[in-house]
Amino acid sequence: MPTIIFEQPDGAVTEVKVDEGGNIMRAAVSNGISGIIGECGGQAMCATCHVYVDPQAASGLPPVGEDEDEMLDCAAAERTEFSRLGCQVKLGGAVQRLRVNVPSDQV
Amino acid sequence: MSQSQTTCPFTGATSTPTSASSPSEQPFREAPSADWVTIEDLYKNPFPIYQRLREESPVHWVPEVNRYMVTSYSACHEIEQDEARFSANERNSLMKRSMGHSMLRKDNPEHQVDRDSYGATLRPATIKKHWNEIFAANNKKYLDQLIERGPGADFVWDYAAPYTAENLRLICGFHNSTQQDLQRWSQTLIDGTGNYADDPEVWARAEASSAEVDAAIDDMLPYLAATPDHSLLSNLASMPIPLEAIRANLKMTIGGGLNEPRDVLATTVWALLSNPDQLDAVLQDPSLFARAFEESVRWVAPIGMYPRETTQELVLEGVRLPAGARLGVVLGAANRDPKVFSEPETFNIFREKKPHLAFGGGVHFCAGTWIARAQVAQIALPELFRRLPQLQLDPRSASTDAGWVFRGMTKMPVVWES
Repeated sequence: MPTIIFEQPDGAVTEVKVDEGGNIMRAAVSNGISGIIGECGGQAMCATCHVYVDPQAASGLPPVGEDEDEMLDCAAAERTEFSRLGCQVKLGGAVQRLRVNVPSDQV
Repeated sequence: MSQSQTTCPFTGATSTPTSASSPSEQPFREAPSADWVTIEDLYKNPFPIYQRLREESPVHWVPEVNRYMVTSYSACHEIEQDEARFSANERNSLMKRSMGHSMLRKDNPEHQVDRDSYGATLRPATIKKHWNEIFAANNKKYLDQLIERGPGADFVWDYAAPYTAENLRLICGFHNSTQQDLQRWSQTLIDGTGNYADDPEVWARAEASSAEVDAAIDDMLPYLAATPDHSLLSNLASMPIPLEAIRANLKMTIGGGLNEPRDVLATTVWALLSNPDQLDAVLQDPSLFARAFEESVRWVAPIGMYPRETTQELVLEGVRLPAGARLGVVLGAANRDPKVFSEPETFNIFREKKPHLAFGGGVHFCAGTWIARAQVAQIALPELFRRLPQLQLDPRSASTDAGWVFRGMTKMPVVWES
């Protein structure tokens, strides 16, 4: 099963198993990972599942979509080139293990 | 993915992984009955009632409202995130009768088809590229009118209402109607949606508005098909969406897109004028207008309650609910849950940032969230205080707030040194 490693701003790390095809936001919310809210349930509408993906893995992920792009501009924490919406990044296929940093602010 | 895990990521609030499993798997109790709750009291001021309810149990049967009222943050949050067990498609819906069967009362996959038909009109990139400029022009027009009316003018009826109505008119694409039409439609359709007393005159007014909206849509669709713009109706004119759905969704949008930003605008200004230290801070640092907006919708959610219906017998935060139970998800109470927000009854823009539930959550997360933030927090509030830095609540004429399903300022006279 694919694995996501969540790292909190204070350095705390949690590993979560996720179904093939599952997304980062759903995995976080289902496992009570703090700092990821996912209020809109995964429609790229609320910008509360913002994460920073591991720079080394970023290029292996599908590119940022149009809806995701405009919503990342609305995120509470600073947007960087590694910013993604957790609801738009699925695990599986070639992406079996992904490390993400949870931002300090989500609202 | 399991549907039963709903720990609040910020609070860790109560919903344990087993909290909503079937009744046989865990201890549960029946919902206490709150026969002391009256609609009249709720309308005047629901917050003391919510406090008492929340302290007693996260869920009550409330005979006068004829539904279970859910008042804890964690239980409301759990419902929002689980449409499989908590359906939006309730039976005998007043909203369906008043407005038709809109996306707000559909579950997926049907809901998503309607929601997608709204396209990019309400999304942040379109707001930035297109709507902000229009909102700014409308804001100037209606601020000019307020100032012209002079001290003693009513903030809600002389400014907030026409401003938000005109914005919504253009967002929808009702180029054949006036902002006054939008205000009348919104209020009468909402009154139908809340017509628990089954007043025939309320139904008659809602039906009249419904017919007017249908006629206005029929009139606009061919025009917008030939002359497209950024409006919802223009987008819908080129979509394979049944007319019935277009009509119902537009009525829902009229009901959900006018009174709410109007009420947020007035409540936020009322709260800032009542808390001069916070107002000073906002004026020093305009980026705090966004904080003031979020705190305002937490403090007084413009939509205080919305319905859901259980699809099966289940236990919600220790309380058994039968299948087909009609629920009121009381956001107005959830947003003041002391398990999540410290000193929740106080308006405080500097409180610890936490997600409120005022825009709902899950698949029905408010589609107009970013429109509301833009027209109120980005456009209206900064310009209002720039032009009227001495704005005050009228000391000789008190403001009134009212409502519970929908809550806002109903009268708000303001003065300034002219």
